[in-house]
Parts: sequence; structure tokens; C-alpha cells
Amino acid sequence: MDAEKDNANPTIINPSDLPSRRRSAPTATKQPGLFDALVPAYPSLAEPSSSPEASDSDSDYEPREEIDEQEVYDLISTISDPEHPLSLGSLGVITLDDISVVAPTSARSRISTVTVLLTPTTSACSLTTVIGLGVKVRLLNCLPPRFRVDVRIKEGTSQTADEVNKQLGDKERVAAAMENRNLINVVNTMLVTCE
Amino acid sequence: MPSIIPLATFTPSCNARAWLTSPHPHLPIVATACSDKTVRIYSLQNFQQQSTISGGHKRSIRSCAWKPNSLGESVLATGSFDASAGIWRRYEEGAGRGKINNETDFTSGLAGGDTEGKDDEDEDEWRFAVILDGHDSEIKSLAFSPMSPLLATCSRDKSVWIWEELDDDNFETVAVLQDHEGDVKCVAWHPDEQLLASASYDDNVRLWREDVDDWACCALLTGHGGTVWWVEFEGMEQVGKIRGGNATSEEQKRLVEERKNAGPRLMSCSDDHSIRLWRRLPKERADGPAQSKLPSIWKSRDFEEEWVEEARLPAVHERPVYAASWSRKTGRVASTGSDGKIVVYEERWKGADGSDDVSMADASSTGPDDTAQKQQASTAEISLTEWVVVAEVDNAHDVFEVNHVIWAPRADKGKGADDEEVLISTGDDGEVRVWRFEP
Repeated sequence: MDAEKDNANPTIINPSDLPSRRRSAPTATKQPGLFDALVPAYPSLAEPSSSPEASDSDSDYEPREEIDEQEVYDLISTISDPEHPLSLGSLGVITLDDISVVAPTSARSRISTVTVLLTPTTSACSLTTVIGLGVKVRLLNCLPPRFRVDVRIKEGTSQTADEVNKQLGDKERVAAAMENRNLINVVNTMLVTCE
Repeated sequence: MPSIIPLATFTPSCNARAWLTSPHPHLPIVATACSDKTVRIYSLQNFQQQSTISGGHKRSIRSCAWKPNSLGESVLATGSFDASAGIWRRYEEGAGRGKINNETDFTSGLAGGDTEGKDDEDEDEWRFAVILDGHDSEIKSLAFSPMSPLLATCSRDKSVWIWEELDDDNFETVAVLQDHEGDVKCVAWHPDEQLLASASYDDNVRLWREDVDDWACCALLTGHGGTVWWVEFEGMEQVGKIRGGNATSEEQKRLVEERKNAGPRLMSCSDDHSIRLWRRLPKERADGPAQSKLPSIWKSRDFEEEWVEEARLPAVHERPVYAASWSRKTGRVASTGSDGKIVVYEERWKGADGSDDVSMADASSTGPDDTAQKQQASTAEISLTEWVVVAEVDNAHDVFEVNHVIWAPRADKGKGADDEEVLISTGDDGEVRVWRFEP
């Protein structure tokens, strides 16, 4: 296991080979600490400005800003595994091939969809839901609101995939989870390693 | 072409996600449940915020519901992610404007007698009356019975609770219903019977009634391929009414008669992107074959109900459908969801003359009316009617998801006909928008 992780570590470096994209991501979010913005987005802590401001600047961005799979990868591959001091990218939980960005389906629609398929480190990983939540929260906070974020477990990689997929797809559950202090702390810890 | 036209956005809007907006049973105001732990009361006359309710809940307020038939006082129930429900009261002065001013003085005098030094400021105050504790986790939805002093609440803890208000602010739990295998997302009462519907994360809808002394599940509606987010009964006034004229043929008359016997239908919206309509099979018919086969001894035969899927609304939504509203005035349905669309549908007689001007329905009405109707007579009677999309708006809340939509009486200066309605949508952007529907 350990050897595998060590070997996998270098993949972390890959995203940094794409500096132009890495730079554009933090610009889009503007907030100094992404994990700071995470908490107030749901409860009413001192952050009344976050969502409207973000949406304004995002719509200004829209014509220029094209977000591709690599950029999504850069946003989430640096998230830390809740168990190991390693990134999800280096553990192979997140791979570029399992990220897809789909443009609006019709001329009238402005909604794009980002789908991320996770590969848990073991098929019985009990932390799969939490990892999925971290990925989902990270993307909800970083991507412009015109993106719908679907985070799922890659088929055949987890015994509890259906259950986890359903939870992660349930906006009410995700919203409630992000008002749960314990879960916020876990997710914040995972996101500390994101710039 | 019928259309959905923006009329106003309530101001100020919430800075965080807004979940649901509930129109007052008789005053021109609405209450919006917000994730910032407040409820905002907005006026349908000038689209301004009139008051707020805050300080009662520790987490998001997910849902709110007005108590029907509360005279002289408005009573609002709030359901929160903090697992509790709150009951709030406010005297009605100041809520109704215009002619009602005379009465205002009268009630305000009375109110002043109760608590000392009651002045105008206090009249607008919401009083926290009682907190209903019992659920283990987030409350998702709640609803007052229109028939009796009952309040239903439901939660992620998979249960539905029924509370009876014995007298003011004294609530007693009369039932804890635990048949669902997942979060219960929504509860709704039948408009004319003590019958409760619940929708769940287990993809099913259940119906509940009181059997002798105990509340129990009397019907299980299966078929949805994902979480059921919303259930709602048809309005009593609309039962058996179909747009595009009265029943003329024998088949049509029979259908109307059957619907009146069965009572209001039920509508459900799901994560599977579909909206389905269910109808109750009349007892006489269900009795016949069932009775002879298995005489049920442990429960009264009359208790269980059989509901069947009657129709699906045209599949327009591309993502989960979070809510739909059945107009009490016109029978039209409006729906919304994750794709940010608001869609209005109506039910028509198939092959009715109105279909000429509806592009959506033309495929099925190419032949002469007579032929079309004869063909349908040979199939199930239900295909006598069809649901068509009459209007649709994209990006109703910019690029955000829309969590709720509902019909409400129009009350602003631009109001035309007495029974004119508006649509009210509530979105992830924290905004509550008002729309005109132009038939």
C-alpha cells in the first residue's frame, strides 16, 4: 500500500505542469481561502456577500471562461484523503479520465454539467461518502453556479456505490451535511491542501 | 401562445439558498423558508418584505406552512434542519390593507389588553409559540390538515409524525409512522379527507389514514426510479374538470363521473425527472374480485386503498423535478427543478378542437375528431385526455436551481380578473420571483 502511494505521488506534479490553468482557477473563486467560504455559504455566518458577488463575477466571466476536465482535475486532485496525508490525485481516487464536462444541451440552456467518477482505494472504504462530499463541496464552491456537479462512485469499485451515489446526488442531504459542524471540520481539513 | 412572464422579484432577497414559499390562506402575503435560518414574509401587493421570523432555529429552515382557518391571527409552522418544528403567531392587523382598517383597530385593542403597551411595532412581531421536538434529524416538510387540527411533519429519520393541536399551542403526538425506508421528503394532505400522502428517498409514495384508533399506511405507490421530492393532491374544485369544454361523449361523461367518485388525484415529482399522476380505484370495483379471493380478517377491507398511475406529464425536465403545483382555480400544473425551468401543463380532451393552436399536441390530432374519439374509446378510458405543455421558461432563476414553484392569487395593482393567479418560484440564488401566466 505504502509503496503504491509513494509511487503515485509524482502524479501530483502533473497538474503543476499546467500553470495557465492552475492560475485561472483561483481567480474564478476570488475568496482567499476556499475552505473559509465553504462554511458560510449555508449558515448565516458573516458572509452575506459571497454568493451574489460570486455569481456576478461569474456571469461576467462566462463568455471567456471555458472550464475543461483538466481544470476540474486541478481543483479536486489536491484534496487530501481523510485517512492518509496524501492527495486524492496521488491515490488515484480522482483521475483525469473519469472527469467529464458537458456543455449546455440546448441553445436556450446555460447549464453545464461536471461529472466526476471516484475510485475508492478499497471497495469497502467507509470514508467514500465523506470523500465524495469533499469533492462535491469543493466544486460547488469553486465552479460558477451554472455548473451542475454530479459526483459518483465509478461502477464496480465500491460495494456501497448506489447508496453513496444517491446521497451525493441529494442536494438536501448535502446542504444539511454542510450545516453539521463535525462534517464541516472533516471537509475543511481535506480542503486545506487545496490552494 | 401562452407564456410565463416575469412580474416581480420580492425585495430584499435572501443571501443564501431559499427553499420554499407558501402563500397565506387568505391574506396577500407569502412566507419564504430560507437556509439563513429565517422566514421572510413578503407582500403580494407591493412585492416588499413585510417582516421576518428569526431566532428560533439553529439550522436552515427547510419548509413552512400556514395554518388554515385561523381567524384574527396568522399561524405559521416552520420545519428546520435542526430537527425541530416551530409554531409562530402574529395578529393579523397590518397584514390586510385597505378596507380592513376598521377591524384592525378593534383587534389591536383586544391584543393590547393582553400584553401591556402593545403598539404598532409589536403588531408586526411574530411570537414564538411552541417548539415541536421529537424527530431525530432534519425536518424536510410539514403540512396542516385542511380538515382537522392536525399537523404532519416528516424527516430524514424516515418517519412521519402527526401532531394534534388539542388547544392553542398544546400539541400532542398522535402517530409516528415509520414504514418508509428512507428520508421522508414531503407530506401533503388530501383536501377533503383525513388522508395524508408522503414522498420519500426510498422512491415510494405512501398514503396514511386512521384505522379505528391507529394511523397506518393504506396505500403504497411504487414506480418512481429515484427520490420522490414532492407530492400534492388535486384541488377539490378541479376534480372531473378538463380544459377544453364539458364532457360530450358517453365515454367522456363516464370518465368525469368516475373521477368524481374517486376524488382528487395525487401528483408526485421525482429525481427520475418525471411527474406522475395517480388515481384511486373506486371501492366498489376494488371490492369485487379482491373480496372473493382473500377475505382479509386482520384489517377492515375498507381501510386499504388502491391507487394506480394514471398519467405522466410530458417529459420536459432534464434534471430532478423538485416541486409542482396544481392550481386550485384552473387545474393547470406548474413544475420546476434542478434544470431551472418552470413548465406549465394542462389536461385536455384528446382531439378537442383546442388542439389546433397547440403545436405540442398536434401529432395525435391529425385525424377528424370523430375518428380520433372512436379509437380512444376502445382503449382505457384514461386516454380520453392528454396533458400538454402550454408554456415554459428557461433559466427562471438565472443559472440556479429552482427549489419550489406554487400558484397564488394575484394581488398587485396590475391584477385583472378576480381569480387571476401568479406563479411564485423560489431558488438557490435566494430569490423569490413572481410570474404572470398568460393563457
